[in-house]
Amino acid sequence: MIMPRGQQLLLPANPVFVFLSLAFAMLLDMVFNMSLTGNATWMPDCLAVVMLFWCVHQPRMVSIGVAFLFGVMTDVHQAALLGEHALTFTALGFLAVIVHRRLLWFSVPSQAMQVFPIFFAVHALELVMRMMSGASFPGWSIILAPLFEALLWPIVSVILLAPQRRAPDPDDTRPL
Amino acid sequence: MPLGTLDRSPPPFFKQGPSAISKLFFFSALSVLLMVADVRFGVTEPLRSAMSVVLYPVQWLALRPTVLSEYTGDYMQTRDAAQAAERQVRQQLLVQSQRAGQVEQLTLENEQLRHLLGLRERLNSTGMAAEVLYDAADPFTRKFIVDKGVVNGVKLGSPVMDELGILGQVTRVLPLVSEVTLVTDREHSIPVLNTRTGARGVAFGEAAGAPLLELRFMATNADIEVGDLLSTSGVDGIYPPGVPVAKVTKVERRAETAFARIYCEPVGHVQGARHVMLLEPLNDKLPPRPQIDRPQPVAPSKGVRR
Repeated sequence: MIMPRGQQLLLPANPVFVFLSLAFAMLLDMVFNMSLTGNATWMPDCLAVVMLFWCVHQPRMVSIGVAFLFGVMTDVHQAALLGEHALTFTALGFLAVIVHRRLLWFSVPSQAMQVFPIFFAVHALELVMRMMSGASFPGWSIILAPLFEALLWPIVSVILLAPQRRAPDPDDTRPL
Repeated sequence: MPLGTLDRSPPPFFKQGPSAISKLFFFSALSVLLMVADVRFGVTEPLRSAMSVVLYPVQWLALRPTVLSEYTGDYMQTRDAAQAAERQVRQQLLVQSQRAGQVEQLTLENEQLRHLLGLRERLNSTGMAAEVLYDAADPFTRKFIVDKGVVNGVKLGSPVMDELGILGQVTRVLPLVSEVTLVTDREHSIPVLNTRTGARGVAFGEAAGAPLLELRFMATNADIEVGDLLSTSGVDGIYPPGVPVAKVTKVERRAETAFARIYCEPVGHVQGARHVMLLEPLNDKLPPRPQIDRPQPVAPSKGVRR
């Protein structure tokens, strides 16, 4: 591919950083849940945002299988139906695979607008699953959750791409 | 235009792994299998227990900010406030110690009277104190997690109460923690007794989408008023009798329905309890159920092959 001049090049993503960021997003969700918001319906799922981010940016590293595993862990933590978040995260991973070639051609704000339908679909799937298994409707503020998740996308993009935006260290590979 | 990368390793040509759509089908089927196994067959408990033990350090870490803020809050609390709280607690203790003395005497008296009348002794249950770790994040149910599990000897189905009344029941016991379903959960029901009239009923969780209880199947002309206290009746063999559960807040009597709609508010702190008591379920102390001989049909009925 012929690159235009002055275009920034990203460093390769570090797998340790990728998985640590996923674990940290889960930890962040737990902190919010345990200390601040309880079982509020409007609470955005940070893990879903970070998961979608890595599924789009590094589909060879993080994909549907990893999403499924984190989904099962979320289920156990939330005392939810086992497999509920596993299913929604699987769907999230699949939707990410569908859009990952296209999405990165857009600027970050328009990316945020395009990931909103994905988060909305995932939350709708979760709602349908729970209503089918006999749970009660948690209230209309559940619509706010995908909206907040889409609003988190630019912030997450800046934070998680920061390590890859560093200048390449030439001493790293130079045989001295 | 996507940002270019310095990553110069080419994507694998042959070793591509399964396609996204086959992965989607595989993992969706696995999730649905897990859900069915969880709801219908209840065979996923070992998996859940193992995962909960793996997650426990992360949860412990996630709880540190709360613990720290509580600690600093306690530390920064002024001396006057602490002294006032202590004075209040002392007064409560005085009142309660007087009552406790009476209770000893009354229990003895009650025992003798029951003995005289030939009634069974009332069942007493022992308890275990526990601390609420967090509210379950699942917005579809009303549960919280307490810090006692299998290793502390928690039993499935134990009633949970705070200093004011019944909060719920232990519905899942994991190795280190337990899940408690609140009385306001949609799937929870509790046999209650109206302390004013002695009428028994069953209170169901979640009335009209609010965290309340609903006393169902009470006739429209039943004697029930706003302000009536409902306590556990003890007929279920799980909850100890006579513990307050809820207060009636609203009674709707309509001519077109056979039953009144009765809304009750739980008396325990279902929203923000910190310390709770896990009581031992009474069902292992109850006498066995009487064996009822089913009448055998004399002749095989039509349509049923033997």
